[in-house]
Amino acid sequence: MPEPILRAEGLSRSFGGLKAVQDVSFSVEAGEVFAIIGPNGAGKTTTLDLLSGLLEPSSGRVLLGGVDVTRQPTYRRCHLGLGRAFQVVQPFPEMTVEENLMVGALFGKPGAPATEAARRVEAALERTGLSHLREAPVEDLNLLQEKRLEIARALATEPKVLLLDEVMAGLRPAEAAQAVELVKQVNAEGVTVVFIEHVMPVVRDLAHRVLVMDHGRELARGTYAEVTADERVVRAYLGDPDPEEA
Amino acid sequence: MRGRGLWLDLLAAALFVGLLAALPGILRGAYGQASVSYLALGIRAVGLAVLALSWDLVARTGQLSLAHAAFYGAGGYAAAVLLRLTDAPVWAGIPLAGVVAAALALALGGATLRLYGIYFAIGTLAFAEVLKTVVKSTPFAITGGSVGTNLPPLFRPQFVAGAMERWEVAYLRNQGYFLVYLGLLALAILVSVLVQRSRLRHAFTAVRTNEWVAGVMGVNPARTKLVAFVISSAIVGMLGAIEAHRFGSVNPDATFSVHTTVLALVTPIFGGLYTTVGPILAALVLSGVEETLKRTLSDGYLVAYGVVLVVSILFMPRGVMGLFRSLARRRRARAAVGAVAPGGRDA
Repeated sequence: MPEPILRAEGLSRSFGGLKAVQDVSFSVEAGEVFAIIGPNGAGKTTTLDLLSGLLEPSSGRVLLGGVDVTRQPTYRRCHLGLGRAFQVVQPFPEMTVEENLMVGALFGKPGAPATEAARRVEAALERTGLSHLREAPVEDLNLLQEKRLEIARALATEPKVLLLDEVMAGLRPAEAAQAVELVKQVNAEGVTVVFIEHVMPVVRDLAHRVLVMDHGRELARGTYAEVTADERVVRAYLGDPDPEEA
Repeated sequence: MRGRGLWLDLLAAALFVGLLAALPGILRGAYGQASVSYLALGIRAVGLAVLALSWDLVARTGQLSLAHAAFYGAGGYAAAVLLRLTDAPVWAGIPLAGVVAAALALALGGATLRLYGIYFAIGTLAFAEVLKTVVKSTPFAITGGSVGTNLPPLFRPQFVAGAMERWEVAYLRNQGYFLVYLGLLALAILVSVLVQRSRLRHAFTAVRTNEWVAGVMGVNPARTKLVAFVISSAIVGMLGAIEAHRFGSVNPDATFSVHTTVLALVTPIFGGLYTTVGPILAALVLSGVEETLKRTLSDGYLVAYGVVLVVSILFMPRGVMGLFRSLARRRRARAAVGAVAPGGRDA
């Protein structure tokens, strides 16, 4: 069996007395689309932060393509092929759309010549439908465009594994459908995808496997059908006013 | 794509430097003896431009450095100590000053650039004080201790009776220094333009605006900041050495004065941060304003100078360049009236 492309081993992280993530382990195979779901405050984003290196785990390990990157800084994980789109969009201000992508394209792969970076920017702009906005200052984008920029910028680093944090949140159904298509396409080209999502139909359409978290711990794991049939999962969601849950 | 912009920038820079290089001759022809003091003002203005532009390089990575006096002083002392201890040629101290300041920046920056925001600023403020104390406690034979030491001038024009007038000696001296300062400014401009037109600009801006996301996008924030810090320090170190030669001496209190740090950051803020033109423009304008106030008000001129600075920062929070930019934007917007009103937000 081949080495999983991304592996979390017993990841834990506390903030003061709060145990945000407790002993979470999972493996993601190359080419897989892996969803992390759970009620608000379940520790999903913290888990992604531990994977991408924005937070150091209190204990546990992160392995990327078999390499232990637990103590590696964010930029080195990026060089090793880990891309990330944020839940709260975080474009670089004072830059145009194209320049935002250029940062990822130039520095995501160390030593990439400028021409190759330009080609990757072009490809990412095109597939996210931002080509006509390349010269636009990021301050002028609307939410949908900002979300696309988040994905485009991560794609410009040419990741092997793409971490997406609720990129569908706030999108209308038609827009979300477009985004789902985009993720499917990217995955079809061989990019492994790990994503956090609240919109359950999106999880159903995309995810090969689902990890359900609650109170920082793993609650269930399996296919979409398996986890949604799990009683513990249903209970965790009860009382959650999230309408998409139904 | 970027190629043409780079060459246009370099051409504009060459024109600007070339124009300034012709200034001593023009002033001499127009004002005769008075050109000596005009040139002295020119030297101060160009020196201030170097100080401001080099500080701005660090600011572009989002670091508020209060260490400029440290590297300025280290440069001055590097030249002074070299010439005190060895028979090295007079000019050898200037490149050495650049190397010493860069090495110092590498060591100090490596230790402190991991600090964020205000903590970095406070940390760097200590650099100059520490160096001052170190220099004061070194043996007299090396640095002159707390007294300081003398440096030979870079230019010793000889008075030739009958062939020239007395003031022309001072003119030749000032002309020499003016051109040396200008050479250093040309170097600073070249560095600044190359940064702005290369991938470094993307790294600098990304790190300044969102260091964490920059890291996730593959930029090494610590190294990016260190690159800016070292380049900036090398330039200001050479400035320190040249000024030490011009003043004729270094001493711990004056050479590591916090005044240098204040000038280094006030000037680019006045002109507009993160640009090549802003700090230079500000240096020229502020030197002129200071000189005018000094001549008209004498004693209380610093109060008036302070008022000018406060008022301009109140009304031009993004500096002169920011004012130009918003005026241009307003004109474009006015030109676009009739078309659909833009729904863009105004920062």
